[in-house]
Amino acid sequence: MKENKLRPWLLLSPSLTAVFLLLVVPVLFVVVYSFWLRAPTGAVIPAFQFGNYARFFEDLFYPTILFRTLRVAVICVFLCLVMGYVPAYFFYRSKSRYRRALILLIMIPFWISFIIRTMSWINILGTTGFLNHTLMRLGVISEPLSLLYNEAAVLMGLIQYLLPFMILNIFVSLEAIDKNLLEAARSMGCNEWQAFKEVTLPLSLPGVSAGCLLVFVLTAGTYLPPMILGGPGNEMIANLIFKRVIGTLDWPFGSAISVILLLLLGCIVWTYNRYLGINTLFKAFKG
Amino acid sequence: MKKQLKDVHERHLAGDLSRRDFVKYCALAGVAAGLVGGPFSMMSKALAQGSIRFDGWGGTTSQAFRRHAFDPFTKATGVRVIDGEFGDMDTYLTRVIASFPPGGEFNLAHLSGVFDYARYVGLEFHSALDESKIPNLALVMESMITPYRKITPNALSAVPYNLGQTGIAYNTKYIPKEKAEELGASLLWDESVRGNLGSWGEWRTNIWYAALHTGQNPNDIQDIKAVWDALRAQVAMVKKYWGSGAELMSLLAGEEIHATVAWSGRVAHLQSEGYPIGFLAPKNCYSWQECIFVMKGTDLNVAQQLLDFMLAPEASIAVAEGQMYPPSLDPSKVDLPESIRKLPAFDPTGKLEGYLFADPIYWNSKQVEWAEQWDRIMATS
Amino acid sequence: MKLKVSGWSLIRLYTILVYVFMFLPIAVVVVLSFNPQQFASFPMQGFSLKWYAQLAQNESILRAFKNSIVLGTLTALIASAIAVPAAMAFVRYRFKGKNTLNTLLLAPIMIPEVVLGVALLLFIRWLQQPKSFALLLAGHVVLTLPYVLLIVQARMVSIKRVYEEAALSLGANPLQTFKEVTLPLLMPAVLAGMLFSFTISFDDITATLFWATAEHQTVPVRIFGMLRHSVSPEINALGTVMIVFTIMIPLLAGYFIRRFSKS
Repeated sequence: MKENKLRPWLLLSPSLTAVFLLLVVPVLFVVVYSFWLRAPTGAVIPAFQFGNYARFFEDLFYPTILFRTLRVAVICVFLCLVMGYVPAYFFYRSKSRYRRALILLIMIPFWISFIIRTMSWINILGTTGFLNHTLMRLGVISEPLSLLYNEAAVLMGLIQYLLPFMILNIFVSLEAIDKNLLEAARSMGCNEWQAFKEVTLPLSLPGVSAGCLLVFVLTAGTYLPPMILGGPGNEMIANLIFKRVIGTLDWPFGSAISVILLLLLGCIVWTYNRYLGINTLFKAFKG
Repeated sequence: MKKQLKDVHERHLAGDLSRRDFVKYCALAGVAAGLVGGPFSMMSKALAQGSIRFDGWGGTTSQAFRRHAFDPFTKATGVRVIDGEFGDMDTYLTRVIASFPPGGEFNLAHLSGVFDYARYVGLEFHSALDESKIPNLALVMESMITPYRKITPNALSAVPYNLGQTGIAYNTKYIPKEKAEELGASLLWDESVRGNLGSWGEWRTNIWYAALHTGQNPNDIQDIKAVWDALRAQVAMVKKYWGSGAELMSLLAGEEIHATVAWSGRVAHLQSEGYPIGFLAPKNCYSWQECIFVMKGTDLNVAQQLLDFMLAPEASIAVAEGQMYPPSLDPSKVDLPESIRKLPAFDPTGKLEGYLFADPIYWNSKQVEWAEQWDRIMATS
Repeated sequence: MKLKVSGWSLIRLYTILVYVFMFLPIAVVVVLSFNPQQFASFPMQGFSLKWYAQLAQNESILRAFKNSIVLGTLTALIASAIAVPAAMAFVRYRFKGKNTLNTLLLAPIMIPEVVLGVALLLFIRWLQQPKSFALLLAGHVVLTLPYVLLIVQARMVSIKRVYEEAALSLGANPLQTFKEVTLPLLMPAVLAGMLFSFTISFDDITATLFWATAEHQTVPVRIFGMLRHSVSPEINALGTVMIVFTIMIPLLAGYFIRRFSKS
């Protein structure tokens, strides 16, 4: 069979055109803007200077927030992993006939607006919220606890949003494991735990890493959970981009922060790609 | 050959959805899309009739506008009013700037503050209204029009619409009225509210109150360092910087916070629902006025006609009852009902003496520097 | 053996707890939608349907609901229509720069939406084009493209080439082969991708806030607007309606498909 050299490009052209026109070119605009200046009225002045970048690094404020963002993202990845692996394993091993339905069920939260879902935590964790009410009813506490507006609350919102991504990724790579391998391991005298440790766990790692990457990147760019559930000192880098671009109309500086964030995420994705291969992400996303 | 192909396909299809079913699926989707009506039909409708866009605060306000101004207006002129949505003030300005032609898709907007008027004028989004075409403008307090005239001496680009104040709301269960009144602005720095304090995330309001706390004139701050120090001390006491009226109200109603700076209309709303929330307007309380701004490129004849409908006492009072901010109507020229007279920030004289507004030139000139400094303080507690 | 049983029940318990965590906020939304008070607090002060009554009269939210459904459906159709050929190219052909391009097509996930939202507006302004429904749609297609691509591509990898080659050797041209062999095998993934794409388009707020015109506001944009002045429990009622809607659609679709295929 002769392979047509043009064919892959023909097949790719619609999506490449879309991504090029609606993503690459606009992002180039952002890069260009990051070298411009802001006029006192809020208009922008074309220029070529690195002042916006210098401003980012002029003191520790912005790097601190960037570091905080990365730290929250890492914690979020870790918690999603801890909370997500077991359910994924459960779906994999379960023989229940509702298994498929249960997996679909995990997608349901996506259908309730992200804002509504995030704000719902206020009614759970708040002073007059569900949790405090229940605990006081049970007599565990006598005064309502202050649970809202801190990093833990932000993480709750983030995990609730991102956990399905993690579970689906892990589940799919577990599904791909040949169950005969487990039988073989057991026939060689492994007990359940050893079989899991020697066979299942290593083979599920591609899904784990794909899930981690996805959760990490999505956390790094988020701003609604810190805005709604966070207190003072819980803001992340996307909140600051929002404030510079929207609040003070400082598009050049906002663009510079965005470029720095993009570069950082780009490095992480590149490293991932280099050592684990972006293809793992595809395998893991099997419907 | 076709049959053979089918065999190839069917042999390996076991368990998967068949193509026929997929076609049905698509048909169902198509029917659904047809039922709800394509977006293009809506677009052509809008073009055919002629329309004007109004961006406002939504909720009860927009319902009141719709009933008392927009629908009668459409009936009288045949021009449809499209209700837009702000998101928030700054997002809106960003969208206006990024639109093409600049400001072009936007017409009327319910802007807050004279400083906002100055921002839009500074970016040259203003138009020149013909006041003689808006007879109801004569009913508006002269003292509310003057600030706009100072910025655009030749012609107005907006009509004042309502008043408001950012005062202090406090929960009377925890903070007695006498104590609040005695402390004034310094209530927001009192040790008793540590951990139960709220504030708006916006820079102007916080700097304004820190100026009051440090005994300075908010429109001419001499010792900005004292302001920053005060704010730094306050950040450690604050539980939540709210970002919307909804958040403000639910924080107060849920007793999540016991004291906060607050918009008068929102507090009036809570009070009318029976919550034990007091409103304190300390000396030199932050007053503001909102206007209906007309963007450059709008059909002025239509806009002026619509503004006249919106300023008509009936519409103006209904909107004021909805949003609980007093209207711009002069109480000495228009007979205002009791429901309006008891709203916070209402001035029975119509002269607005003793109301302190933000000096637009002063505040806009400080914006970039102060807003960023404020973000720094707020984000590093 | 006993140990295994208790190990498994621990796993089950853990899973149940995770589900409780995931669904607690949603349960709270549903419960509070029947709360008569304006501001939610526990314990509830009675039972009321008044927020549903208000919701039914809220024309703007109903209009936004229609917009969201039209937008989501079109987004899902277009995104999968362009993602399937792209997945074909990546899986079935070898060519230069494949990995780079593959990463590029995933970029929409990596870029914070605030940036993308403003960036696209800047570009449109530079082109001197007004915002339109087409822009919103195109933006959503790009936003959801990576998800569809990931799902379809993963499925494509697992479809063995033998089937396609068999068809080709029987004299079918590539297009016929695709239509008769590959596409049907791919269908579950395409449907899953469409579902994902619809969901993400339906739920997107940040970018949509920038791209939506007044005529084409979506539900999240409306909700964002509603927050400004009132935290109306109508939002909870709306959330409940959306849940019912979500669970009903797949059930109904499944039911109809079974009905149709029987007759």
